[in-house]
Amino acid sequence: MWLLRFSTSSIGKKILMASSGLLLILFLVAHAAGNAAIFFGSNAFQTYADTLHSLPVVVFVFGVGLFAVLIVHIFIGIQLFLQNRKETASRYAVSTKVCENTLASSTMPYTGLLLLLFLLVHVFGFGVNPTDTKVSVLVVNLLGNFFYGLFYLFSFCVLAVHLSHGFWSMLQTFGFNHPRYNDGIMKITYIVPGFFLVFFGAITLYFMTGLGANY
Amino acid sequence: MSNIDLTLQIWRQKNSDALGKLETYTLDKISTDMSFLEMLDVLNEKLTMEGIEPVAFDHDCREGICGMCGAVINGVAHGPEKETTLCQLHMRHFKTGDVLVIEPFRSRAFPIKKDLVVDRSAFDKIIQAGGYVSVNTGGTPDGNAIPISSHIAELAMDAAACIGCGACVASCPNGAAMLFTSAKISQLCLLPQGHAERKKRALSMVETMDKEGFGNCTNLRECEAVCPKSISIRNIARLNREFVRAAFSEG
Amino acid sequence: MELNARIPSGPLAEKWDNHKFSAKLVNPANRRKFKVIVVGTGLAGAAASATLAEQGYKVSTFCIHDSPRRAHSIAAQGGINAAKNYQTDGDSVFRLFYDTIKGGDFRAREANVYRLAQVSNNIIDQCVAQGVPFAREYGGSLANRSFGGAQVSRTFYARGQTGQQLLLGAYSALSRQIHNGGVTMFNRREMMDLVVIDGQARGIITRNLINGNLESHWADAVLLCTGGYGNVYFLSTNAMASNVTAAWRAYKHGAGFANPSFVQIHPTCIPVHGDYQSKLTLMSESLRNDGRVWVPKNKGDKRKPADIPEEERDYYLENKYPSFGNLVPRDVASRNAKEQCDQGKGVGSTGLAVYLDFADAIKRDGEETILRKYGNLFQMYEKITDSSPLEEPMTIYPAVHYTMGGLWVDYNLMTTIPGLFALGECNFSDHGANRLGASALMQGLADGYFVIPTAIGNYFGESSIAPVNDSDEAFINAQQQVGDRLNKLLQNSSGGVGGKVTVDEIHKELGRLLWDNCGMARNKEGLEMALKKLPEIRQKFWDKVYIPGSGSDLNQTLERAGRVADFLEFGEIMIHDALNRAESCGCHLREESQTEENEAKRDDENYSYVSVWEYQGDDVEPKMHKEDLTFEYVTPSQRSYK
Ligand SMILES: Cc1cc2nc3c(=O)[nH]c(=O)nc-3n(C[C@H](O)[C@H](O)[C@H](O)COP(=O)(O)OP(=O)(O)OC[C@H]3O[C@@H](n4cnc5c(N)ncnc54)[C@H](O)[C@@H]3O)c2cc1C
Ligand code: HEM
Ligand code: HEM
Ligand code: SF4
Ligand code: F3S
Ligand code: FES
Repeated sequence: MWLLRFSTSSIGKKILMASSGLLLILFLVAHAAGNAAIFFGSNAFQTYADTLHSLPVVVFVFGVGLFAVLIVHIFIGIQLFLQNRKETASRYAVSTKVCENTLASSTMPYTGLLLLLFLLVHVFGFGVNPTDTKVSVLVVNLLGNFFYGLFYLFSFCVLAVHLSHGFWSMLQTFGFNHPRYNDGIMKITYIVPGFFLVFFGAITLYFMTGLGANY
Repeated sequence: MSNIDLTLQIWRQKNSDALGKLETYTLDKISTDMSFLEMLDVLNEKLTMEGIEPVAFDHDCREGICGMCGAVINGVAHGPEKETTLCQLHMRHFKTGDVLVIEPFRSRAFPIKKDLVVDRSAFDKIIQAGGYVSVNTGGTPDGNAIPISSHIAELAMDAAACIGCGACVASCPNGAAMLFTSAKISQLCLLPQGHAERKKRALSMVETMDKEGFGNCTNLRECEAVCPKSISIRNIARLNREFVRAAFSEG
Repeated sequence: MELNARIPSGPLAEKWDNHKFSAKLVNPANRRKFKVIVVGTGLAGAAASATLAEQGYKVSTFCIHDSPRRAHSIAAQGGINAAKNYQTDGDSVFRLFYDTIKGGDFRAREANVYRLAQVSNNIIDQCVAQGVPFAREYGGSLANRSFGGAQVSRTFYARGQTGQQLLLGAYSALSRQIHNGGVTMFNRREMMDLVVIDGQARGIITRNLINGNLESHWADAVLLCTGGYGNVYFLSTNAMASNVTAAWRAYKHGAGFANPSFVQIHPTCIPVHGDYQSKLTLMSESLRNDGRVWVPKNKGDKRKPADIPEEERDYYLENKYPSFGNLVPRDVASRNAKEQCDQGKGVGSTGLAVYLDFADAIKRDGEETILRKYGNLFQMYEKITDSSPLEEPMTIYPAVHYTMGGLWVDYNLMTTIPGLFALGECNFSDHGANRLGASALMQGLADGYFVIPTAIGNYFGESSIAPVNDSDEAFINAQQQVGDRLNKLLQNSSGGVGGKVTVDEIHKELGRLLWDNCGMARNKEGLEMALKKLPEIRQKFWDKVYIPGSGSDLNQTLERAGRVADFLEFGEIMIHDALNRAESCGCHLREESQTEENEAKRDDENYSYVSVWEYQGDDVEPKMHKEDLTFEYVTPSQRSYK
C-alpha cells in the first residue's frame, strides 16, 4: 500500500516529521493567539476558555487531532533518533563537525524529549485538571510558583532551540530551498522561535514576577 | 617549499572481518609541496623497506575527478581544505608536530575492505535503480531538437559534477546518501530528457537507497560542507519534492 | 601475421554504409546465445557493454575500480569533437576527417578516420539523449568552443569536465543494463591473461583484487577497452591504474602491436617538483591563447621572474614561429620547451620548466577578463603549486599524455586474433602519429556505441565458434600460469636474497630511461643504449623487487608489480619501434630527420606505413610487419608553422 511504503521510506518519514512539525507550529500560533487573551485581563481570558469549552466537539476533535500529530511527530522522531544513533555511535576516533548551527540540529531528539516532558507537565497542569479551578486562577497559581515558572521559561528556550533548526529544516524538507529566498528563510527561522520565546516567556514572567499576582 | 615532521595515526584493518585499530607512524622531512597521497606513498615506501605491509588506500586519477580517493583526516572527510579531494590536498596545510588521525570512510553501507579501502558499490546500486534515461543507442533525435536554457543546463551540471566519492555519507552523522542520490536525481529531473521517467526514478532510487542501508537525512548539512564538488543541499530539497510528487501520484 | 585491414569497397563516403549493409547480422532471438567479455569501463568499454547488452548479447564487464564510473576517461577535460556544423562556420564530415588525418601527420587509415568523422554526429545526439549536460547557448542550443588544430568551432563541452560527463552518461547506460540483467558487472577485477582456443579469443583470467582469487571467464568474443599505456613513463597525466597489461597479454598470444612508439606529449602540464611525485597534472591548452611562453636568455639565471628585465627574456616560440607564436601545435611546443631546458635555461627548482606569463594579457584585458576565462585553472594551479598566476608567471613543462599506438585492428576493430577486439585508446586506429585535442573521447564513444555492434554481429555471423567452458584445460592452464607468475613476483617477499628494491623505484627507473631516450626527441644512439639498458632493469626487478603481503589478499603493491613487469617487457618494443622509424613524424622528432631549420621532417617515401610488431618468444626479437598506408582522398603535405 503506497501510504505505508511512503511513510516507511526515509524521505516519507522526513515529510511526516516536517508536516507534523508544521501542524504543531500552527497549533502554537493558535495557542498563542488564544493565550493573548491573558493580556486583556482575567475576565477576557476566562471568557475565552469558557467559550472554548462550550464547544466540546470542537475541543475534542481538535484535541484528538493534536494528539495524533504529536504521536506521529514523537514516534517518528524517536524512531529516527534510534536508527541514526546506530550509525553515529562512535564512528570515528576523532570526530569533527564542519558545519554551523550544529547545537540545535544535533540535539533535536533531546530538545524534543524535553518538550515532551514540558507538554506532560503542562497538559496535566492545565488541561486534565481534576480540581475545578478556573483557568484564569490556575494560571496565576501555577506560574506564580517560581520554580514552575522557571521550568516554563527553560522549556520555552528549549522550544526556541528546537525550532531554530526545526523551522528551516521543515522548509528544506518540503523542498523550499532557493538561493534568492534562502536569506529570508534564515531570518524567519530566527524570528519564529524568537517570537514564541518572547511571547510565552512574557506571559510566564508576567505571573512569575508578581506583576499578574492580582489577576 | 619547506619540510615538516608528522605523526600519523592510521587505521589498519586486515580485511572486512578482522578487527582494526589505529597504528602510529612518524614521518620526517615531508615536503610541503607533496599531495596527501604522495605523503602516503612516501610512508608506504618506507614501510615496505622496513618489511611492514603498506597502507592500502584507494586512488586513481589524483586530480580530484574520479572519486576513488578519500579518508577521514582528524574527523573531516577529505581533510581540512574546503572543496578538495584528498588527492588534491597538499601538505602545506599542515605543520611540523601535527598529529594526523587517518581513518577510512565509515558507514554501514560502506564495508571496510582493508585499511582505508572501503566498498562503495552501494552507490552503483542506487544508480542502477534508475539513475539514467532509458534510451538505447541509436535513433536519438538531433542534439539541438530540444532547446535547454543555459541556466537549466548549468544547474544540471552543478548537480552532475558529483564524483561519487562518498564523503557525504562518511560525514553525515546519520550515514545518509541523500546528497549523492539527490545530485543524480536533480540532474535528470532538471533536464527535459529525464522527465518521462522522473516519478519512477525518484521512487526506485530512494527505495534502493533505503534498502542499501543508508541512514535518514535530518538536514544536518555536514555532507554539503565536506563535498569536494560543492554539491548543494538544494538538490536534497529538490529530491524531496520529486519524491513527494511521485509518491502521491504514482505507485 | 596477416594484416588484412578489411576496408570496405566503394567511395570513401559510402564505405561505412556499404559495410553496415553487407556485414553479417545475428537475429535478435539468437543474440542471447552469444557471450561477450568487455574489459575496462572507460568510454569505449562502458559504451560497448551497454550497447551490446541493449541488443541482446550476454555481456560480462570487468573493471579494476570499485565502480565502473571511475575509469580513466573521467579525467578528460577539454571536450569532444563532432562535425555538426551548428556554428555554420564551414564544418563538415569531410573537414573533420581531413583535420584529423592531417593532425595525425598522415599515419592513419583514411577509411577509419572518415567513419569516425561520420559517426561523431550520432555521438552528440546519443549523449544529449542520455542527459549529458553539455554547455548551452542562452537560446538553448548546444554551445561549441574551438580547439587546437582546427579552424572551426566544433568542440562540445561540459565545463572543464567533459570526459566525466560523457563517462557518466555511458556509465548510466551501463547501469541500466546491469539492472536489466544484460550485463554482469565484475568490479575490482584485473584481467591477467587472455585465453585463446583454436586460434580464437575465448576468455580471460582475472584476479579478484579484494581476495586475490584467480577466476576464469569464457566468452564468444573478448573486447579490450583498457586504455593507453602512457604510464610506462611512470610520470604521465594518466590515472594511476592505467596500464598495458591487457594489451600486452594479447600481444603475447599473437595480437599485433601497432606503432608502440607513438606517444603524445602535452606541452602545458604542471612541472615535476620532487622525486616523490606520483603523477602529472594537465593544464588546459587554452592557456596558451593568452599566456606568453618564455625562459631567461642566460643559462642558469636563478632570479625571480619579476626581476628579469624584458630584454633578458627569450620568448622563444614567438621568435621562432612568428605566425603561430605561442599557439604552435602540441608537439612543437613540447619539443621546444625541452630544448630550452636541455640548454640549461629551464626555470623552477628543478630547472625543468618554462614560464607561461599572463602579465601582458592582464595588462591588456584586465584581471577580471582573464579570471573569467581561466579562473578555475588558475585556482587549480594555485592549489597544487601555491603560487598565483596573477602575481607570478605559471611554470609549465611537457608531460606524457596519450598513446596513439596500440593493438593493431582491422576496420572491424578486430585484432589479429579472431574474436579479440580492441576499442578506444587501446587500439591504434584513428589518430596516426598525433592525436588532435577532443578526438580521443570521440573515438572511444564511436568505437563503443556505433562501430562494435556491427563488427560483433559480423564476426558471430561469419565464424564458427565451438562451445567452451571455464573448466576447459586451456583455462586451467592459463590460470595456473598466472598463479605461477604471481608467485614468482612474491618470491622475494620474505625479504630474502639479493637486497630489496621497491616496485616504484624500478618503475621510475624505467620511466626515466624511456623519457630521456624514447620521448619527444629520439636518436639512434640513445635508443640503442636504452635497448641495452632495459634488460638490466628488468633483471634487477625480477631479482630484487620486494612485495610485502600475500597474493590472497588485497595487495596493491602486487597489483603494481604485475603491471610494471609488463611495462618492462613492453618498453622494449617501444624502443624497437622508435629505432625502426627513422623519420620525424607526428609527436616525435627523430633527431636524424630534421629540416635545415631544425624542424621535424617526415619521410613519406620510406615510412608511410603502420609498423606492427609480432611476438616471437620471450628472449627473441619481435618481428615487424608493415601495413602500407595509401591516401586516395587527401594528399599528404608537410606541416609548417613558420
Ligand atoms: C588529463 C587528460 C585529459 C584529457 N582530455 C581529453 C579531451 O579533452 N578530449 C579528448 O578527446 N581526449 C582527452 N583525453 C584522452 C582521453 O581521455 C582518453 O584517450 C580516453 O578517455 C580513453 O578512453 P578508453 O575508453 O579507451 O580508455 P580508459 O578510459 O583509459 O579506460 C580503460 C580502463 O580499463 C581499465 N583497465 C586497464 N587494464 C585493465 C585490466 N587489465 N583489467 C581490467 N581493467 C583494466 C583501466 O583501469 C581504465 O579504467 C585526455 C586524457 C587525459 C589523461
Ligand atoms: C505560558 C504559556 C502558556 C500558557 C499560559 C498556556 C496555557 C494553556 C492552557 C490554559 C491550556 C488549557 C486549554 C484548555 O484546555 O482550556 C493549555 C493547553 C495546552 N497547551 Fe498551553 N500554554 C502555554 C504554553 C504552551 C506551549 C509552549 C505549548 C507547546 C509546546 C503548549 C501546549 C499545550 C497543549 C498541547 C495543550 C493541550 C491542548 C488541548 O488539550 O487541546 N502550551 N495551555
Ligand atoms: C510543540 C512542540 C514541537 C514543535 C512545534 C516541533 C516542531 C518541529 C519541527 C518544525 C521540526 C522540523 C521537522 C523537519 O526536520 O522537517 C521538528 C523536528 C524534530 N522534532 Fe519536534 N516539535 C515539537 C515537539 C517535539 C517533541 C515532543 C519531540 C519528541 C521527541 C520532538 C522531536 C523532534 C525531532 C527528533 C526532530 C528532528 C527530526 C528531523 O529533523 O527529521 N519534537 N520538530
Ligand atoms: S555529493 Fe559530493 S561528497 Fe557526495 S559523493 Fe558526490 S561529490 Fe562526493
Ligand atoms: S549531513 Fe546528513 S542529515 Fe542530510 S543534509 Fe546531509 S545527508
Ligand atoms: S584520486 Fe581521483 S579523486 Fe582523488
